[in-house]
Amino acid sequence: MAAIDWGFSINRPRTIDIDNNNLRKSDEILREMPELQCCIGCGACTASCTAGNLTEFNFRKVHTLVRRGEYQGAYEEMNKCMLCGKCRLLCPRGINTRGVVMLIKRKLGDF
Amino acid sequence: MKHVVVIGGGIAGMQSALSLKKRGFDVTVVEKSNRLGGKLLNWHCLFPSFTPATEVTDTLKQRIADSGVEVRLNAEVVEFDRHHVVLADGERIECDAVVLCSGFTLFDARIKEEYGYGIYDNVYTSVDIEAMLNKGRVELKNGGRPRRIAFLHCVGSRDEKVCQRHCSKVCCVTGVKQAIEMKQLFPEADVFNFYMDIRMFGPGYEEMYREAQQKYNIHFVRGRISEAAPTIDGRLQLKAEDTLTGRPLKISVDMLVLLVGMRSNDDNARFAEHSGLQCAPSGFMAPADMFLSNVASGVGGIFYAGAVTAPKSVGEVLNDGAAVAEAVTGYLG
Amino acid sequence: MNFFAPFCIPFMVGAAVMAVALVLKYVLWIWHLPRADRKLLVSGIFTVQSIKAVGEVISESLLHRRIFKVNPLLGYMHASLAFGWFLLITVGWIETIAYLGFRYVPLQGHVFFKYFATCIAEHKPVFDFLMDLLLLIVLSGVALAWGKRLYSKAMGMRRTTKHVLGDRVALSALWFIFPARLVAESLTCAIYGGGGFLTGSISSFLAEHVSGSLLAALYEPSWWFYSSMLGIFFVALPFSRYMHIFTEIPLIFLRRYQLRPREKESSYDNFEIQACSRCGICLDPCQLQSELGINDVQSVYFLRDRRYNRLKLAVANNCLMCGRCEAKCPVGINLNSLRQNSRDTMRNIPDESRYGYLASLDRSQGEGRVGYFAGCMTLLTPRTLSAMERIFAAAGEDVWWADRNGGVCCGRPLKLSGETDSAKKMMRYNKELFYKHNITTLVTSCPICLRVFRDEYALRGIEVLHHSEYILRLMRQGRLKVDAAGGRFTYHDPCELGRGCGIYDQPRAVIEAVGELLEPKHTREDSLCCGASLANTVINDAQQLRIARSMSAEFEQTGASTVVTSCPLCKKTVARGSSLPVKDLSEVVAEHLA
Repeated sequence: MAAIDWGFSINRPRTIDIDNNNLRKSDEILREMPELQCCIGCGACTASCTAGNLTEFNFRKVHTLVRRGEYQGAYEEMNKCMLCGKCRLLCPRGINTRGVVMLIKRKLGDF
Repeated sequence: MKHVVVIGGGIAGMQSALSLKKRGFDVTVVEKSNRLGGKLLNWHCLFPSFTPATEVTDTLKQRIADSGVEVRLNAEVVEFDRHHVVLADGERIECDAVVLCSGFTLFDARIKEEYGYGIYDNVYTSVDIEAMLNKGRVELKNGGRPRRIAFLHCVGSRDEKVCQRHCSKVCCVTGVKQAIEMKQLFPEADVFNFYMDIRMFGPGYEEMYREAQQKYNIHFVRGRISEAAPTIDGRLQLKAEDTLTGRPLKISVDMLVLLVGMRSNDDNARFAEHSGLQCAPSGFMAPADMFLSNVASGVGGIFYAGAVTAPKSVGEVLNDGAAVAEAVTGYLG
Repeated sequence: MNFFAPFCIPFMVGAAVMAVALVLKYVLWIWHLPRADRKLLVSGIFTVQSIKAVGEVISESLLHRRIFKVNPLLGYMHASLAFGWFLLITVGWIETIAYLGFRYVPLQGHVFFKYFATCIAEHKPVFDFLMDLLLLIVLSGVALAWGKRLYSKAMGMRRTTKHVLGDRVALSALWFIFPARLVAESLTCAIYGGGGFLTGSISSFLAEHVSGSLLAALYEPSWWFYSSMLGIFFVALPFSRYMHIFTEIPLIFLRRYQLRPREKESSYDNFEIQACSRCGICLDPCQLQSELGINDVQSVYFLRDRRYNRLKLAVANNCLMCGRCEAKCPVGINLNSLRQNSRDTMRNIPDESRYGYLASLDRSQGEGRVGYFAGCMTLLTPRTLSAMERIFAAAGEDVWWADRNGGVCCGRPLKLSGETDSAKKMMRYNKELFYKHNITTLVTSCPICLRVFRDEYALRGIEVLHHSEYILRLMRQGRLKVDAAGGRFTYHDPCELGRGCGIYDQPRAVIEAVGELLEPKHTREDSLCCGASLANTVINDAQQLRIARSMSAEFEQTGASTVVTSCPLCKKTVARGSSLPVKDLSEVVAEHLA
């Protein structure tokens, strides 16, 4: 897949179109891990992220987009994660962040 | 005359005692420290009006002194039921009803090790700031003036990782209030507030928030600080995500202020077990009903007032004190 | 003498099926061994290791010494069945020879000797006695096995394995084999005379109380029944848990030749997997079981599911890999390695473009021959960092700080979740970084990193130390002085440091130099996991907290005033569950620097 562009390209529409987005995968993901819905977007995960320190990887943003039905590029983005687990130690909502990374990769990857 | 024991001599205890006395009860206030006033004694000014805290505490203390309420200082309660209060020295005080006004415990910021409280210089809690304001000397460890100050909201509140799920309610407003105070003391300094949500629930609070932004040029960054680390030149480097831009953010500051939350007292569970009371999942005491009996305990003759049931602002605590007298009157007739 | 009767057919068929299945399995497994493993096998056969293996086979496969250590009664149960049956067969052979001299006797002739020997007039009471005694021993084992089903606590097991249908068929057959043999032999003796203290006395009872015609009518069916039970058991054996009876033997030899499960699944794994007897000893140590009531992911179920190709990712992933069950497994199966290579099979998706961003990155600071790799988690426990800083300063050590300003993860978390190939990229990156800075010693505060540095990095010329080892060394060299200020401490063994790297004594020695050390109930090899293990990506926060709370309660019971540990992840987790202050070992040392 091509390099991702998180919403800043001219060609892709800017709107997250919930009416037309297919939320089936997103629902599946939330069914398997309902706690992901608890995210309050504080950004502690991304702030501490070992991979995010070195790249543009933004865990919070990727999983939020996935929850809105925006799947394109999510698998490749999640692949930047090193699974080091710092974020899980920080998440004030107790989200199993490493589990989320693996779940999203499993649901949105080609396997 | 019916005798009511009020456990705790903070503002909740004092206001409860005064209201009860006014209704003709014989009242004893039992306070474990050596003075009345509780945690508010360490506070400088109250939001949103910047009223000096002493105005409240001194007035209440004076009224207590004038009222004829019996005050027992240095008296720690070990257990109680509706007819007895047992003190640490073994003394049993007989009574007809008990009002529990034991308040809350401040969250120990050292537990959130990643913020560096107790490890690095110039990391303070909101309580430290009030104490410094009271002393009239707010300064860095080296005596210097801070050029950049960061406030972090929700330290020990809304955080599963320290087993404190609840919102402490007053820290947001306190954070805005203290940010303004810092800006008044150090007009040349930049002040940044890092928040997850800003909860301005009371009259005048939202206005104060707006003033902080507009008049005092305080920066609000939506993102929780993940770590603080010392820099070579003795400052603190903070990491957060600026969630509104979706990018990681680094900032060096001279001073980091942690807005510590309120947690329930460790005693609560023990009291509850001994007296058949209920604790909420947060550990605070659960009133019999959220609306119509919110100062009753569910056990006849035991009542609550103040922050023992939940984090509350000063005004709400004082209202509880009046309400509990009404409820006790209803019970004792 | 004729050694055939129609009732032998079930036994003969069963034995033949079993023999063919076993030979096929072993030949295929060995055939498919990785080349390196085959080499190890060939070069090992004619060494002393083979002799040692024979000894181990006797002590483990027959006597079950390790199970005796878990619980003597449980050990006796296994030993009486295995060793008892083995002796029954051997003594049976000797008996045949004693009666008939050295001549060819077909297999069924040995097994059903009592049936065929009725025509022999001469009696050797010694054998009657011996065979009866052995039968009695085996029967006592069977009785205990029945008892264990009803009341497992008597054998120190709170829970027993839930078995699949095939296992139940084989198990039932096994339970009937020896009672059936007793009945058949007793009936034979009742008609033809003879028998030892057991079969003899039962037979005289039968002869007295049962009519001769009834005895005659039961005689043949009883041997048919015995033979059928044997036949059923033998047919079921290669496909049920009883495969372990034979598989443990080659496993012991291969292990002696240094074969181990690899990062990727290999043919050798079959020996380990099928050597599992599903005894269920792994169930009780599992905290997912005892604290969370999860009862379908433990090693016994994992191995079973993997063996029958029905392993689910949710089962493979739901394990703390704390190693508590591995430490107790009587067969010594490498449970963690097997689970890890299962995860590799299920999850490893090689992606060449991954982690390209690591190239030419170096955020390290300082210079020195000693490198300090804090680890990702340690960056969230800055008290450890500042304590290490003070310790390095006190010892006058120049330090190269590898990852203080953000580094690259050691790779173990990825490996634990099965992404083995991607983990290698991080390992390669860090390794190059270490070499570039010419360090001779690498100190880390994170046991998770330590484990992978030691096991996988192969850092030639660089000594890898956990900070507990390093601090103790400094103290012993006199470079670091602490005052024995007293204080009551208790110590939590991190799984990766203790069971993972065998480091138990060094942190204890450091603590004892400062104050008193009080051990919790579960300690050292038996210590509990804090629950936050990176190996588990399934359990949620509340479940982690439940484990943390229950294990932390043990620290409070010691009467200590401080909990000490030496892993940032454990520290954070224990602190959540405990009301006592929790400190890293380095903090305790830094606070007491003389």
